[in-house]
Amino acid sequence: MKRLVRDNALALCFLLLFLATLAGQSVAGTAAFNEEQVANGGSSVTWAEYVTSSSFAVDVAENWQSEYLQFFLYILITVWLIQRGSPESKKRGEEGLESDAEQKVGPHAAPGSPAWAAADGWRKTVFSHSLGIAMGLLFLLSWLAQSVAGLAAYNNEQLAQLEDPVSWGGYVTSPDFWNRTLQNWQSEFLAVASMVLLAIFLRERGSPQSKKVGDPHSETASSG
Amino acid sequence: MGIRATVVVCLALVATALITTGCASAEGTSVTSTAERFLSAAGEGRGGQACLLLAPEAARSLDDCEKQIVSVGLRAGVVRGVDVWGDEARVWVDGDTLFLHRFPDGWRVRAAGCEPRPDQSHTGQPYECEVNT
Repeated sequence: MKRLVRDNALALCFLLLFLATLAGQSVAGTAAFNEEQVANGGSSVTWAEYVTSSSFAVDVAENWQSEYLQFFLYILITVWLIQRGSPESKKRGEEGLESDAEQKVGPHAAPGSPAWAAADGWRKTVFSHSLGIAMGLLFLLSWLAQSVAGLAAYNNEQLAQLEDPVSWGGYVTSPDFWNRTLQNWQSEFLAVASMVLLAIFLRERGSPQSKKVGDPHSETASSG
Repeated sequence: MGIRATVVVCLALVATALITTGCASAEGTSVTSTAERFLSAAGEGRGGQACLLLAPEAARSLDDCEKQIVSVGLRAGVVRGVDVWGDEARVWVDGDTLFLHRFPDGWRVRAAGCEPRPDQSHTGQPYECEVNT
């Protein structure tokens, strides 16, 4: 048990942080939602009502979709683009999908390679891109959830303000949908660009996300 | 979080959103019933009953609710459509539009005698209402 926890400490740590902050968001969100309800002459809702509401769902989903988009793009773009000096980048000349031998697929699979890496045909292709596919699907699913929950939350607000509700098509072309979407995207892209650039010149001793403290700034694709 | 768990939570989010919409349509009957009872009471001079179906803030906006609500000119009519989104609803009746809010004890009328602003119906302007919160 102790070993299981230690071997999975990174994932467990972030899972616990996720659950704690989601719980915190739900409590703070209930309070903020109720302030608005009372100000508009409505009635307060319970925590249970709030966490099953479209308002909570859209706030959660809009952040999820941008995080998954960030990882999806980072995974794909780093196949083809490099950043000299970045520990997150491949070296110059390594851009692209690389050879089967380098990737240990098909006849080059090692004894411990996953079965689909050794397989031929569609299984090899799917497994070769499974991380990107998973992140892409999670992004699309979260974005769809944002649009559906956002429509319900938006129309609820429209009616509260004595205005006409809109259709799904109307909502996904509305300023509200794109404001929610783009304000999340821009922050993710800024964070990635900052990480890529700062990791060239700055170090965090012991972190695999950083180069070794003594590595030269020009060294690419190393980690400490 | 594992990918499978994340997919499940994502699907739950979509389902929550869809259920919210689905429940909304099931609420339609309750909304329509409140709107019809309110309009009948107001149209037939039963001000007391009509005021009981008003949201508290809407009732307070009238100096003498029981007298004023019957003098606004509200009339019962055929319900042409209902929109329910969460705890807010809109009912179209012949010649009138009502907005309702769901309180812990049921739906109440927040605004009645409403009309879209004639020249600004698509510019996000709220309806003009005879009775409002």
